[in-house]
Amino acid sequence: MLKIRDYSIKKKLTLMNMLVSGVTLLLACTAFGAYELATFRSTMVQNLSIQAQIVGANSASALLFNDAKSAVNTLSALKAAPAVLSGGIYTLAGESFAMYRRDTGGHSPPLPPMPAGQTEEHWFADKELKLIRSIVFQGKLIGTVYIRSDLQDMNDRLLRYAGMVVAVLSVSLIAAFLLLTTFQRAATRPILQLAETARIVSREKKYSVRAPSTDSHDEVGLLIEAFNEMLVQIQARDAALQTSQEELEQRVTQRTAELDAMNKELQAFTYSVAHDLRAPLRHIQGFSNLLMESFASQLEPEAKTFLQRIGEGTQQMGRLIDDLLSLARIGRQEPRLQATGLNSLVQEVLRDLKTETEGRDIHWQVGELPFVDCDPGLMKQVFYNLLSNAAKYSRPRKPAVIDIGQMSVEGQVVNFVRDNGVGFNMKYANKLFGVFQRLHRKEDFEGTGVGLATVQRIIHKHGGRIWAEAEIDKGATFFFSLTSQNDGRQTANGHEGGKNGYDKRT
Amino acid sequence: MVTTREHEEIGILLVEDDPLDLEMTMRALQSDHVKNSIEVARDGEEALDFLFCRGPHSGRSPESQPRLVLLDLKLPKIDGLEVLREIRSRPETRTIPVVVLTSSAEQRDIIETYKLGVNSYIQKPVDSTQFRQTVKAAGFYWLVVNRPPLVEA
Amino acid sequence: MAKVSRAWGPLSRQAPLAVMVALIGACNLSAQAPKITEYQVKAAYLANFGRFVEWPNSVAVAKSESFNICVLGQDPFGADLDAAVTGETIGGSRVLAKRISRPQDAVDCRILFISSSEVSQWKEILTALRPLSILTVSDMPQFARRGGIIQFLLDGNRVRFDINLAATERVGLNLSSELLKLAVTVSRSP
Repeated sequence: MLKIRDYSIKKKLTLMNMLVSGVTLLLACTAFGAYELATFRSTMVQNLSIQAQIVGANSASALLFNDAKSAVNTLSALKAAPAVLSGGIYTLAGESFAMYRRDTGGHSPPLPPMPAGQTEEHWFADKELKLIRSIVFQGKLIGTVYIRSDLQDMNDRLLRYAGMVVAVLSVSLIAAFLLLTTFQRAATRPILQLAETARIVSREKKYSVRAPSTDSHDEVGLLIEAFNEMLVQIQARDAALQTSQEELEQRVTQRTAELDAMNKELQAFTYSVAHDLRAPLRHIQGFSNLLMESFASQLEPEAKTFLQRIGEGTQQMGRLIDDLLSLARIGRQEPRLQATGLNSLVQEVLRDLKTETEGRDIHWQVGELPFVDCDPGLMKQVFYNLLSNAAKYSRPRKPAVIDIGQMSVEGQVVNFVRDNGVGFNMKYANKLFGVFQRLHRKEDFEGTGVGLATVQRIIHKHGGRIWAEAEIDKGATFFFSLTSQNDGRQTANGHEGGKNGYDKRT
Repeated sequence: MVTTREHEEIGILLVEDDPLDLEMTMRALQSDHVKNSIEVARDGEEALDFLFCRGPHSGRSPESQPRLVLLDLKLPKIDGLEVLREIRSRPETRTIPVVVLTSSAEQRDIIETYKLGVNSYIQKPVDSTQFRQTVKAAGFYWLVVNRPPLVEA
Repeated sequence: MAKVSRAWGPLSRQAPLAVMVALIGACNLSAQAPKITEYQVKAAYLANFGRFVEWPNSVAVAKSESFNICVLGQDPFGADLDAAVTGETIGGSRVLAKRISRPQDAVDCRILFISSSEVSQWKEILTALRPLSILTVSDMPQFARRGGIIQFLLDGNRVRFDINLAATERVGLNLSSELLKLAVTVSRSP
């Protein structure tokens, strides 16, 4: 099935027009043909009738005086009409009186009955035109003429007519086609151009093109105008969009630069502050030691105690600075990920903690920890902080039991460090990871309040989450995961965890 | 406060601008074996003037160079890195052992100094006791244990 | 016009002319039918001759009441002639059959059939008829040659006639060519 719908406008128009022309012509020709036919038929009938009348009139005397020969003579004049098949004079009794036949052979056809009240009747039947006419002489019916004519003439005429119609139609359609081909261009050109323009616009996304406008103010002209206007608007919007995009990008770049700069400044600041804070510490410590050394004999015990306090103070400050520095450093660097076995990290940390935990009774229970993609240095720091914390806060316990392992929580691998130390009040859990925040007294447990903040920052840098659960006097458990993916290898590309503070496990 | 002993061997040129650090360092150096004389420069300019016998030190003999330079990096006027560069660029001073003694632990600084040919890089310990021990050890090592090259004429 | 059936029945009184013609037509003297006599045919002819003749105006006006077909002499037709003219009209006038004994009585006749019995008096009859415009018909021999207008003949079985055209002109009559063409001979001898 031809998809007429997909023909070009040109084809459609042409087809349509030719169809219309053809149909109207055909209708007209048919009408005329029918009229012609009707006219011709009536003419034929008329002619035949006249012939019958003439024959009848001329045969009246023959009939009256029984002169068949004379009648035959009269009838023979019908020879002049080649279409006449036969002509016969019939008596009142309906018997053949005299006959003319065009073609030899055959019998006299029987006289068809005359309908009541008529002097003439005709039929088109059996490929013939039959006509009977009463012979009325001086008011008296004396016989009937029966003439038969073949329809050859009519058929010939019909054929000629048909031939002419075909010829006329063909010529007209060809002419129409030629005319259309010429004139449709005028109509379709603007449309085609419009279509082409639209195609260009959509393909190349060029909004600067315009459809060539026509001078005509018809619907097509309107369409083209509207189209062009639309393009103008699109172009304007596009430009505006572009501009705002550029602006935005500019702003983003600017902001990013600003942020970067600020960050750098901050980092530099933190770093230099920490560094510059160290020198005076050294001096304070140094000279107070010198004082102790050089003038020990001259110092009162109380004075020595004071000097001791000075020393402790400077030590604490030094630790604070170190922790702050480390926190700042972590803030600066991006973790360099590599596949790391967490167990090996734990072992290293345990080694490092050996001096610290000298003489203590600690049961380290290290389970199987996963291999993860992480920054080993930073993760070591995490474990160091968590384990040293665990050890510190379980100092009152004999033995201190510290569990290190992994578990699966909702399809996710979570590592934990559990101790049986003094725990903390969950009420203050949201302060756990704050910088300088401590939940215990300094004299009970030393510390700077930076360790957990550092751990949180590292975990967050890996895209993980960290949270804790504890009970006063029962101990604490710290959980952390490095990603939000399922069991198996973890990769550090998850979301940012909660804000600085307590990450609640869901 | 530079003392010039024209014909005496100069032990250490200590380049340090912080007065307290200076005092602590000198006290650490002056105890037990390290009996050498210590020359002090308070900034990079002074250090270079001394080493190259110019300015206030123009009367110095270029042949008597210190056996060790203890160099801080954070110096006013001309900083330690520049001083090191100068020292290593002149034949008369090129072979002098230079030990950087600074509070910075930046890899950047370490790399740069080693590139320039520093002999040793020591970060000033924060702890004062450690500081004392480190300085003494360094002094002992570089002046007693280590064999400097003979100064060529 | 009533359609005539083929049944050969007695002469119907409804359409005498039609019947006559039908009979004539049917019976081209082919012998199935009840015999149609010679004088029945002649009577029919007589009745029909009038239709093919033009009389001069004087006659037409004067004799407008009836169209008389007269028989002079011994009447060979009998009832046949009366039957033939019953109900007929020619030119609007009723056709009547009359028998006359003297030619002078033919003043109001249009057509006069002279019986063969008058053969010897024909000359005198002719003279007597001369001022009158009468169509003379007879079947006596040499009638046409002797100045009669229509002479009946027998051609085998068929009744035919000769016409003397000069005779018609003499009495001021005009015969239609339709009639003339049927005549066996049309003569112009005086």
